[in-house]
Amino acid sequence: MIPVEYFLALAAILFAIGAYGVMTKVNTILVLMSIELMLNAANINFVVFSGFLGDAMGQVFVLMVISVAAAEVAVGIAILLNAYKIKKTTEVTALTSMRW
Amino acid sequence: MMFIEYTWLVPLIPAICFLIVGFFGNMFDKRHGGGFLAIAGVAVSCVLSVLISAEFFMSSAYVDVGYVAKSFTWFAFPGGFDINIGYYVDTLSCLMMMFASFISMLILIYSLGYMSEEGKRKQRYFAEVALFVTGMLGLAVSNNFLMMFIFWEVMGLCSYLLIGFWSFSHPEGDDASDNAASAAKKAFLVTRLGDVSLMAGLFILLFAFKSLDYTVVFDAASIAAVDHNLIVLASLLIFGGAIGKSAQFPLLDWLPDAMAGPTTVSALIHAATMVKAGVYLVARCFPIFTEASGVMLFVAVIGGFTAFFAATMAMNNMNIKKVLAYSTLSQLGYMFLALGAGGYMIAIGMESGNTALIAAGSVGYVAGCLHMVNHAFFKALLFLGSGSVIHSTGTEDMREMGGLESKMKVTSITMLIGSLSIAGFPFFAGFWSKDLILEQVLHAGDYGAAGWVFIVLWLLAVVTAFMTAFYMFRMWYMTFRGPMHKKSEHSHGESPRSMTIPLMVLSVFAFGFGFVLFFGFDSLLSIQIIGGQFRMGGMESGGAHYLVEFFTNVWTYVTIALVLLAIYLAKNMYELGKIDPARFNGDGESWLYKALTERWWFPQLYDQLSWKLGYGVARGVEFIDSNIIDGSVNGLSNAVAGSGELVSKAQTGDVNNYASAVIGGLIVLFVAVVALFVFMGGL
Amino acid sequence: MFDLPEIPYLLTLLIAIPLIGAITTLFMGGEKQKHARMTSIAFSAVTLVLAVYLMLSNDYGAYAESHTWIDTAGLKMSYMLAVDGLSILMVFLTALLLLVVSVFTFEQHDKPNYFFALLLAMEVGLMGVYLAADYFLFYIMWEVVLIPMYFMISWFGGPRRHYAAIKFFIYTHVASLVMLIGIFAIVFQAAAGGVADFSFAAVLAGSAAFSGVFQSLAFGLLFFGFAVKMPIVPFHTWLPDAHTEAPTAGSVLLAAVMLKMGSYGIIRVCLEVLPDGAVSWQAIMVVVALVAIVYGAYACIAQNDLKKMVAFSSVSHMGMVLLGIACLSEIGVMFAIFQMFAHGLITAVLFMTCGLAHDLYDTREIPLLGGLAAKTPIYATFMMFGFLASLGLPGLVGFWGEFGVIFGFYEYALSINMIWLIVFCLLSLLLTAGYYLWAIQRSMFGRLTTKLSDKVMSRIRDINKAEGIAMGIMCLMIAVFGLWPDLALSIISPYSSALIGVI
Repeated sequence: MIPVEYFLALAAILFAIGAYGVMTKVNTILVLMSIELMLNAANINFVVFSGFLGDAMGQVFVLMVISVAAAEVAVGIAILLNAYKIKKTTEVTALTSMRW
Repeated sequence: MMFIEYTWLVPLIPAICFLIVGFFGNMFDKRHGGGFLAIAGVAVSCVLSVLISAEFFMSSAYVDVGYVAKSFTWFAFPGGFDINIGYYVDTLSCLMMMFASFISMLILIYSLGYMSEEGKRKQRYFAEVALFVTGMLGLAVSNNFLMMFIFWEVMGLCSYLLIGFWSFSHPEGDDASDNAASAAKKAFLVTRLGDVSLMAGLFILLFAFKSLDYTVVFDAASIAAVDHNLIVLASLLIFGGAIGKSAQFPLLDWLPDAMAGPTTVSALIHAATMVKAGVYLVARCFPIFTEASGVMLFVAVIGGFTAFFAATMAMNNMNIKKVLAYSTLSQLGYMFLALGAGGYMIAIGMESGNTALIAAGSVGYVAGCLHMVNHAFFKALLFLGSGSVIHSTGTEDMREMGGLESKMKVTSITMLIGSLSIAGFPFFAGFWSKDLILEQVLHAGDYGAAGWVFIVLWLLAVVTAFMTAFYMFRMWYMTFRGPMHKKSEHSHGESPRSMTIPLMVLSVFAFGFGFVLFFGFDSLLSIQIIGGQFRMGGMESGGAHYLVEFFTNVWTYVTIALVLLAIYLAKNMYELGKIDPARFNGDGESWLYKALTERWWFPQLYDQLSWKLGYGVARGVEFIDSNIIDGSVNGLSNAVAGSGELVSKAQTGDVNNYASAVIGGLIVLFVAVVALFVFMGGL
Repeated sequence: MFDLPEIPYLLTLLIAIPLIGAITTLFMGGEKQKHARMTSIAFSAVTLVLAVYLMLSNDYGAYAESHTWIDTAGLKMSYMLAVDGLSILMVFLTALLLLVVSVFTFEQHDKPNYFFALLLAMEVGLMGVYLAADYFLFYIMWEVVLIPMYFMISWFGGPRRHYAAIKFFIYTHVASLVMLIGIFAIVFQAAAGGVADFSFAAVLAGSAAFSGVFQSLAFGLLFFGFAVKMPIVPFHTWLPDAHTEAPTAGSVLLAAVMLKMGSYGIIRVCLEVLPDGAVSWQAIMVVVALVAIVYGAYACIAQNDLKKMVAFSSVSHMGMVLLGIACLSEIGVMFAIFQMFAHGLITAVLFMTCGLAHDLYDTREIPLLGGLAAKTPIYATFMMFGFLASLGLPGLVGFWGEFGVIFGFYEYALSINMIWLIVFCLLSLLLTAGYYLWAIQRSMFGRLTTKLSDKVMSRIRDINKAEGIAMGIMCLMIAVFGLWPDLALSIISPYSSALIGVI
């Protein structure tokens, strides 16, 4: 049996990569993808603890998260497309009209 | 008590006339704007005051206490301070009522002619004059200081309105309107300075006596119960009011400027009302003023100095009205000098219990009051006469007149009578009162530690008598004799009947009123102190004794000689042209001549003071207000808004930054929680 | 004064009638707009009649009303109304001015229904403040006054109206929050752990146990709240801006009755409940008042805008009110209340005339005017009357207020051996005469101005009938109360003597 710490380490690394992506990437698609990475890191944790504790509840949550993430990506991409139509760009540094 | 009970009607009738004329004058009297109603009202008051006076002098009250007073509570201040309303009739108020209403009536009649070209504005004129008369009559019959003060201020208001009568759309153009407006303002503000001082005096009296009724304040017992120093302070402050109203040094500069009003208004202010109020106030307050001889000395010094100082400025003035204005100041100075000298002797007499001295001081009081009435007659005459000249020639500059005698017979003769009277020519009204004053001042010099001051004042007064005669005859000769100048050639000739008749009536009084001195006038106005209590009237009349006193006194002849010399000098200089005035003034270049034309730089001083202390400080306050106080308010709000602005910069709109912040925050939180656990001894 | 039969719920009616009026006028949009003014006149006339009826009644105590509003375990707030010698004059003044202002505002073509609704709403608040006998109701009404005034300035004001409205709102609102803290302090302290009853009577009863230190602190909080409203230097700067920008009707109400809320509050709350605090703050109040009097008068001299000058004169005259209060003597308080009333009457005329300058000549800048008395004599007469009344001409109402206050202050100055202090009051009398006469000399007298455009000059009119009637009524009041001050003093004196009995 692979120790649970390995899975947690994988999830942490995935999360860190995702966070790094969110913080640094300029392309909005990449930012969305990084968010997916972070969500999946969380999903891994859910599954691991579900197996570790023998409780199916965690896996149910994973399904929930996946569906919400799908909806979120759909909305996100839709906004992005509209933004692209108006601004002709998908770079987050250009989409700053809601600041001060 | 048939008429005395109705004393309150004396000021009320003109007041009602003021309301009716003021609102409806032009409606019922198109031609004169309600002038006849105003005249009728003042005439009724005049008749009523004569009846009241007659009744009073025959009543037992005059013999017993010397006054009739009636008082009703108007309202009460908490703490037992009653404010009353009522009337107070004694010799002084009878005198004031009679001459003020009589002369005002004549001036109003004269105004019918003088103001005939004013059109619709006559309504305003007659209404304001009626209110002016109300003020003066109310002042005379008031039974307490506060009521007196109210009428006092009403007069101030009326003088403001009337001096500024032409303060817009002046018949002579814009400069004249500007001039009238600023003269009116100056008159009000300078007298207001005095009024404020008077008001302060009233506070002191009200607090000390718990009442402002004359009967209380002048009561010997209540005076004795009050702190002496407070009474002295109050007396000085009240005299400050008189200085303002009667234009004494140093508040004298408004009166010459006040010539910007119609001439009839000048006559009213100088003869019947306004400036006489100050003299009246001092005469009225004798019971408290004489508490300290120093106060009376101060009154005398101010009066004596003003008499001299104002006379100097009249010596070279070319404006016929201004010469008269300065002569008014100078004559008022005489009145204060007389009252001061008389009061000084009374005060010293009271300290030392010397009854003879008190009786002598009483003569000074009589002299001051007599001069006040005499002056009212001759000054009204002179002003109305000068008004007649101005009306006819259309100028006030005496250099443009000359030789008018042939064209204006009545005016020139009546003016001559007035000039002789004011100059103190023997047997004219002014002679008696002026000589009596000089004699009293010299007499006062014999008493007390400060007696020498009166000797100096007497010298000044004698010199002033010389100057008076000179400048009055300078005026008369320049106007009516000598060569004709441009304006007098084109004059309209003699003025209409409505203007000359008042002149003739006044000239009779200006000649003859002085003789009342020998028919018991001094008895009516005499002051006796019976058991420490002031009482007016009832002393035995000096009668013909005065004649002996006058004509056995060598100084009388000296004064007469000076007067004659002055007249002779004026005749030579201005009628015959034998002596060129330029010889004395270096062709108008000498510093003295300049000082006099510049009024001793008094107007500049006033302007500078008011500019610096008024407007200068105001600019400073305004600067502080808009920059420091409002600046800090706006600064505070700007600081709030600005810091909000600053913090909002953190809202970059960049998703990456937000994410970094979230994660950074998370890490900080995590570390903090862990650290807390470790610190608390967990884990 | 008279034994009049009692009208039930009279005090509620005084608040309810303007409220109904405000709602009615508000919904008079479109075609019915032109009737808005008449509606406002009708409602305010009824209110005035009731207020006069109330004033002439004998027994003010009989009109007190009390209904419990919120009653929980810890708090008790009630709808309580009462009237006494202090408030009745203010109630009368409010009702009178609202009618006069409605009559006066002849040319309000822009959204008249909103305009008059705001006016009536202000009356609701003002009546509420003066009639409330419960601190919670008092505070609510206090804020109710603020809101219509804000909209009045920001909708109907001059060019800098937004700045002025915001400044007015925030400044006075901050002050009323501080006041609210003070109210909480005295209410909860008076409750002493029991049920916090917000009614005046309960707090007054509990105030006996207040310690000296607490009184001083609470006095400070409340005094600040009221001083801003009065306003007292240095918290006055909202006033000139608000006045200059507000429409004439707004300025009149603002100066004549809203400023009085401040001094009313000081007497009603600070003096009644915190007498020891008043004593400890006395010296500060005297100094502040003297500064306000002289400072306001000097600031007037430097002003070029007629309305701004009158606004600063309010600062000076309200300083006079504070001075009377600060004497803490019967004469002082009595004449402070009288001066509040007198200033209300006079300042209404002043703001009407000065506000009209803009309608008549298109400007209120004194240097641009001059010699206009020839063109508009009746206007100039009213202006003159107002100025004279304000500078304290004896025989008019302003004189008695000043005379009484300064006399009260003289009494105080004598008691602390600093008699010279009255020099400041006397100086202000002189300055007041100075700035008014200077202003009228420059704007109405002298040569006719050439600085107005020909277009303006050609359409200069004298005042019309409505304006004349409105100002005439006020002038009449000034003269009546000036000649017969006892008419007001007899109403005030029972209150002031009872109040000083406490101190």
